[in-house]
Amino acid sequence: MPQAVVCVKPIPDPKEWDRLSLDPETGVLKRAGISTVINPLDKNALEAALQLKDRFGWTVTVVSMAPPDTQKTLREALAMGADKVLMASDRALGGAATLATAYTLAALVRKAGDADMVFCGNMSLDGSTNQVVPQLAEFLGLPHASHVVGVETEDGSTFRVTVDLKDALLTLQHSGPMVLGLTKEANDPRLVSVMGIISAQSKPLEVFSAQDLDLDPEKIGQKGSPTIVSGLFMPEIKRRREILSGEPEEVVDRLIDGLREMGVL
Amino acid sequence: MANVSDYSGFWVFAEQINGKIADVGRELLGKARELADSKGVEAAAVVVGDLTEDEVKELISYGADKVYLLSHPNLKLYSSLTYTRLLEDLVNKEKPEAFLFGAGPLGADLAPRVAARLNTGLSAHCVDLKLNEEGGLDQVVPGFGGSLMATIVCPNHRPQMATVMPGAMKMPEPKEREGEVVRVDVGEVPSPSPEIVEFKPKERSAVALDGADVVIAGGWGIGSEENWKLLEELAEVLGGAVGATRPAIDEGWAPEDVMIGQSGKTVHPKLYIGAGISGVMHHVVGIQDSEVIVAINKDPKAQIFEVCDFGIVGDATKVLPVLISKLKEKLGE
Ligand SMILES: Cc1cc2nc3c(=O)[nH]c(=O)nc-3n(C[C@H](O)[C@H](O)[C@H](O)COP(=O)(O)OP(=O)(O)OC[C@H]3O[C@@H](n4cnc5c(N)ncnc54)[C@H](O)[C@@H]3O)c2cc1C
Repeated sequence: MPQAVVCVKPIPDPKEWDRLSLDPETGVLKRAGISTVINPLDKNALEAALQLKDRFGWTVTVVSMAPPDTQKTLREALAMGADKVLMASDRALGGAATLATAYTLAALVRKAGDADMVFCGNMSLDGSTNQVVPQLAEFLGLPHASHVVGVETEDGSTFRVTVDLKDALLTLQHSGPMVLGLTKEANDPRLVSVMGIISAQSKPLEVFSAQDLDLDPEKIGQKGSPTIVSGLFMPEIKRRREILSGEPEEVVDRLIDGLREMGVL
Repeated sequence: MANVSDYSGFWVFAEQINGKIADVGRELLGKARELADSKGVEAAAVVVGDLTEDEVKELISYGADKVYLLSHPNLKLYSSLTYTRLLEDLVNKEKPEAFLFGAGPLGADLAPRVAARLNTGLSAHCVDLKLNEEGGLDQVVPGFGGSLMATIVCPNHRPQMATVMPGAMKMPEPKEREGEVVRVDVGEVPSPSPEIVEFKPKERSAVALDGADVVIAGGWGIGSEENWKLLEELAEVLGGAVGATRPAIDEGWAPEDVMIGQSGKTVHPKLYIGAGISGVMHHVVGIQDSEVIVAINKDPKAQIFEVCDFGIVGDATKVLPVLISKLKEKLGE
């Protein structure tokens, strides 16, 4: 059976990001107590793969590099319909920038066996770098397309992929594996059913260490990351904050005077 | 790892779509020029496409000492594999210390692959770039939708690569300057693979939001397409452009390409007026560079009031008509 591999990243729930804070002493990000969810666009990736499963009987394998305590979140992908999860979890993988992440994911994709298509979310909402898709493709030696708004196939072997270049739409045609980064325009991810949740419990979820994957210690985690974060800070807000309330006539007069004082009218 | 001292100069990838060089390339050249001047090195632009010397030499006036032109009919349309190979070769030959890309769909698609090919670092969606004490590039990026900022450095690998949001750097004034267009021999160029079967340019909206001096933005609180016209009228009075939040675009009141914020445009007008906008970080990260921020919201506790210079607590559909008529009156004086 052909196989679709889907990259899934558990992230802190975007709804709770206003509760993120920096430890004032150490400058370290405090995310304790914030729940973990599947990166939303990864569900679009999963949906595209599951459609191939529904139509042509493909196997759908999820790969993820994530801390061990996110297994519950990854089971949600199994509940949606994926067949198995391969997960890389190892302290040595911590602190990875996109290059090291893509290198590690590439090893997981290879572990999954022959991938006939690799689907990813176009970006993860927490980092929003847009970088993993092209870099994963580079490590796998496959072509890629990001900002994908449509994936079509009639026979499950030739694919038409539509890319949104903002000023133009580009449609690619390809037979053979690619790495695709899907946007939310690409499809509507299915919801999890009760049956799905039940069957997810008995589906395989394998956890690998860096060693299991034969990863080069120089290329993973912080070591394999050419970029480092040299500082974190909360954005500064230096604004006048003059709040006006009352009758529209009065507040508008005051506003216009204020804008003139500041020299922008 | 690269021998850092072998690398010199600040490069900009000036992307073109359909033969037109995108503004973000010019904006980045302004920044590259500034960085190059403070180190006493060169700034250069790289253009890949099917273009003539004449079509790219304007980039000199935006700050490029050199414009590397990689031109071939098969390079007209973007192909990540071919573009990556050409940039890899050029970087290895010329060794720039930094290489900046626009963070639009083309730059964001290409830069990561080039960085992986060159085994170097790439920071995404920078909002600021400055030199640090070691002469390296401090790259400031937003994380978690802008609720947090991080400074990224790339100490041991070259070039230092970054993507920058369109509009995040100010467009420089073009100046009469010396510079040269260097035509790079691209050799045989295969037609794009995967095959491009369709290329459909989109209609562009009339107002250039990125460069506007006045931006009027509306959110979900505007309430209807009818009310949305108030924003357009205000923009017209002030000579500005109209932007929107995600929900307003989802309602169909404004086109997708005027979204402001993390997943849309960054604006830096003199005056930003936001009406019916709650002020979630996703949006605010795109307006922070505005000189003056005015917010109109009926909820006195709306978050946007924390980041504004002037806040009007009130119903936008009542305040806007008054503002429009008073401005017409006073600006007419
Ligand atoms: C990863 C991610 C990326 C995102 N990127 C972006 C982005 O780039 N840009 C973006 O805009 N959003 C983005 N969003 C969405 C963002 O989180 C918010 O949902 C959005 O910015 C809120 O838009 P809003 O203020 O128009 O709507 P709401 O939050 O619904 O606020 C409407 C406001 O209007 C006020 N109001 C209602 N009626 C009136 C009235 N008659 N007069 C005056 N005020 C009134 C209300 O008090 C309220 O404050 C993103 C979300 C995610 C998760």
